[in-house]
Amino acid sequence: MSVVLSVQNLVQHFPIAGSRSVVQAVNNVSFTVARGETLSLVGESGSGKTTVGRCILGLIDPTGGDISFHGEKIGKKHNVRSRGLRGKIQLVFQEPAESLDPRIRIGVTIGEPLRSLGEKREDRNKRVREIARRVGLSEDALYQYPAELSAGQQQRVGIARAIITDPELIVLDEPTSALDPTARAEIIDLLIRLQKELNTAYLFISHDLSTVRYLSHRVAVMYLGMIVEQGSAQDIFSRPRHPYSIGLLSSVLLPNPNLERRSEVSLQGEIPSPIDLPEGCYLASRCPFVEAECNARMPDADDIGGGHLVHCFKHRNVIDEEKATLDYFERFQEEAEKLLISGH
Amino acid sequence: MAENSAAGTILNIEGLNVSYPVYETDPVRALRGIDLKVREGEIIGLVGESGSGKTTLARSIMQLISRPGRVDSGRIEYDGRDLATLGEEELRALRGNDIAMVIPNPRTELNPLVTVGMQIANVARYHLSLPRKEAKKMAMAMLEAVQIPDPTRRFKAYPHELSGGMAQRVVMAIALICSPRFIISDDATSGLDVTVQTQVLELLQDLVQQQGASMLFITRDIGITAHYCHQVAIIYAGEIVELASTQNFFDNPQHPYSVMLLSAFSHNPKLRGLWTKVVDAALEGAAESGCYFAARCVRASDKCRAEHPDMREMTDAHSVRCHHPVER
Amino acid sequence: MRVVRYIGKRMLFIGPQLFGIILVSFFLVKLIPGDPAVMMLGPLATEATLTELRNEMGLNLSLVEQFYIYIKNLVLHGDLGRSWQTTRPVTEDLFLRMPATLELITLGLILGLLIGVPLGVGAAYLKRGILAKFSDYYGLLAGALPDFWLALVLIFFFYTILGWVPPPLGRLDFFTIAPPTVTGALLIDSLLDGNWAALGSAAGHLILPVVTLGLISGGPILKMTQSTMDRMLESDYSRYEEMCGLPKSIIIRHALRNSLPSVVTIVSVLYGFLIGGAVLVEIVFSWGGAGQYAVQGVLNADINPVLGFVFFAAVLSLIIYLIVDLIYFAIDPRVRG
Repeated sequence: MSVVLSVQNLVQHFPIAGSRSVVQAVNNVSFTVARGETLSLVGESGSGKTTVGRCILGLIDPTGGDISFHGEKIGKKHNVRSRGLRGKIQLVFQEPAESLDPRIRIGVTIGEPLRSLGEKREDRNKRVREIARRVGLSEDALYQYPAELSAGQQQRVGIARAIITDPELIVLDEPTSALDPTARAEIIDLLIRLQKELNTAYLFISHDLSTVRYLSHRVAVMYLGMIVEQGSAQDIFSRPRHPYSIGLLSSVLLPNPNLERRSEVSLQGEIPSPIDLPEGCYLASRCPFVEAECNARMPDADDIGGGHLVHCFKHRNVIDEEKATLDYFERFQEEAEKLLISGH
Repeated sequence: MAENSAAGTILNIEGLNVSYPVYETDPVRALRGIDLKVREGEIIGLVGESGSGKTTLARSIMQLISRPGRVDSGRIEYDGRDLATLGEEELRALRGNDIAMVIPNPRTELNPLVTVGMQIANVARYHLSLPRKEAKKMAMAMLEAVQIPDPTRRFKAYPHELSGGMAQRVVMAIALICSPRFIISDDATSGLDVTVQTQVLELLQDLVQQQGASMLFITRDIGITAHYCHQVAIIYAGEIVELASTQNFFDNPQHPYSVMLLSAFSHNPKLRGLWTKVVDAALEGAAESGCYFAARCVRASDKCRAEHPDMREMTDAHSVRCHHPVER
Repeated sequence: MRVVRYIGKRMLFIGPQLFGIILVSFFLVKLIPGDPAVMMLGPLATEATLTELRNEMGLNLSLVEQFYIYIKNLVLHGDLGRSWQTTRPVTEDLFLRMPATLELITLGLILGLLIGVPLGVGAAYLKRGILAKFSDYYGLLAGALPDFWLALVLIFFFYTILGWVPPPLGRLDFFTIAPPTVTGALLIDSLLDGNWAALGSAAGHLILPVVTLGLISGGPILKMTQSTMDRMLESDYSRYEEMCGLPKSIIIRHALRNSLPSVVTIVSVLYGFLIGGAVLVEIVFSWGGAGQYAVQGVLNADINPVLGFVFFAAVLSLIIYLIVDLIYFAIDPRVRG
């Protein structure tokens, strides 16, 4: 598979005005996204996942590291809006209502990216209609204003606007977190279908693990600006190795009282502030497996096969302790299927 | 979670109707004929989308419906007393003391100019008529009970100096300091990250059960109710459409709306399609006769559009408001 | 400490700010038509004597040169020039008159607070009822009535008809011996001196002008208190305190505390405004305050008192804003951050 996006040792620090301290938003993050693949960045608030997205879009200049798109280095100077790259990387926002201009008709909004590519009006209109059909928007909707649509429909507009330039990569920043569960599921279905049709690469930024399990090929778990574990979705969800991943997974409450990820591993306290982080492993303050070594230096990536990388000195001990190896998201889906079929 | 059937009823809501008058049109009916019993020591989860009337119900129990809303009919009995007959001072003595509230946005709902320790102590001071010093001591103990790190320092902290999780613990301390018998949690953990959310939920559950209190747990997240509640009530358009023990509900959800809520978690679009009806937004909410859910319901018949269904007890501890409940 | 650093920073800006104010006002005041030399020597003076006087006063120099001399004298000697009307240094005049004005407006604003805050709190809490109605009308009237008119009405009733107060002619009775000047505020000075006769007389003379300013400034203070209290009582934390069953008195007290920054702001704005704005009241009561002094200067092309007044008022305003910021620091922990 050809690599579309490659991020190597990305660092993003923000100085705090009036002091020597820095906010260490992103610390040494590396990953790749291949054609037609979805990589999800998951983490809680403050984990730096959104900052990574902003670096890729060239909205901010990284403090260190490289981002390349098809092997070509990009950054603040040579970015999404530069000639040659324009339209190849697109973005879908979290709040559909806020990302659409309330005074511009939907059809015009969707066609907007084509204008900057200098396409003719007739071609543009034809293309807008075609794309609208693709994302399940009615012809009428094109003549409406954003406020007249439901949140789910608005997000379809956001997606239509993103795919109209035939991008190779779409950065999806929490595209479903503002939607209610029914609309969320529809949008996810749409994204999966579009990816199959267009072979687009997705970088999916989210804290919603259930959704992540559904649409990702690979998952990278972020904590305090670093990727603590990454691998195939299957591996991460059924055989997580990093104590933080385990803690995160067992915190998800699925609507089935019989299914609980009863884990022996539990995290203490809360995510510390990303200002002046310690030398060692960032999880040390909350981790039940902590040892002297963890406080001394940052663990490097340990490849345990199949591209499954873990940043933890103790992951072999962790796996011994961690008995709850089942991918309970999968189990939940099986149970849910039974339930939904049986009543119909 | 064990059933708690022998215990007495602490809260009894009967036929509660609450509406908000709207200028020159019909009033908005926020709650329509709510019947709900909460037994002692029981945690009931109340699940609904935004606008379904959850918060109005919480405020009705508190007798603090925001203006210009009003109770049209029905009664709320707490511990055998009709709350509507109580005077302002009697209600004040109940609120925060017998009936306590855990709120969703502690960082805007805590007073920004008062230290959190004093905010906890104030509640004890006025309800338990304690001298200032005693109340402070008690607040300190409460901060420890809700497992705030470094409680002596946090006592003197202001709300903006706390993280979301810590502020949520402070709110729990305020709710629990007078050992209330009934607690309402209104979307209390929705703003927290998942790892913190579970910690807070575990703690809340432990403390509520330790004190032998009952809780109405209002939430949008049906997943939480599966793990932390004895009973589940589903509210749609201001009325309860299904009420069952947690196990019964999740094993055998019977209202098409409940199943639709659950189907949203499925990753199989075909199965979801079985329970979701694509509706024109214009038609939504139009039904004032018949079943309020009929327009969105995959099982709707002519009867549903004509005749409003009553709550029916299907099996023991499982009631549904539907003409065509799902059978398995 | 954050506060100390903050104050230090503010101090650094005071110099440039004052310079700017003097610069602008100097050139604006020079635009006032009227020749001081003509005013001083009268219409019968010859051109030669006029020129001589102009040269003596430096009026023959360019404006820039005049400004340079003015600033140099101010910085090196604290000299703001002389008033030709009083023939005394402006600094001395102002040190005599400014305290009179400050005593008056300080007491006026304290009265305004005593009227405005309780009424505002009551009106916000009760929403409907007599108190709220009264507050509405009062706020309206206080905004609409001219202060000098109110002063005249008060004099008419309480001096002319009832005779309860001394005549509106200055700060003391004619025959009362003034206490030695320490602060310039007669109440304080007579207390320090143990001069009870002067104390009584000064207090008597203060009553009407203070009531006038208090009633007028009570209006905006009331409106500000009412509107912020309204917001605070509707705020999430007030509702939450209600849900916790806290007594009304506590909820109101907490809401008031949260409203204080707005009240402090309006008071500071009023204070800065009244230093010059109380002039009509000063004139009605022949107060002999700083405002009156400045107006005399404007009317008689006596430039130095005008500039001196602007300078004093600017310094006072800057001090007031600094105090206001310190109060914010004390009230709101988020500012202390």
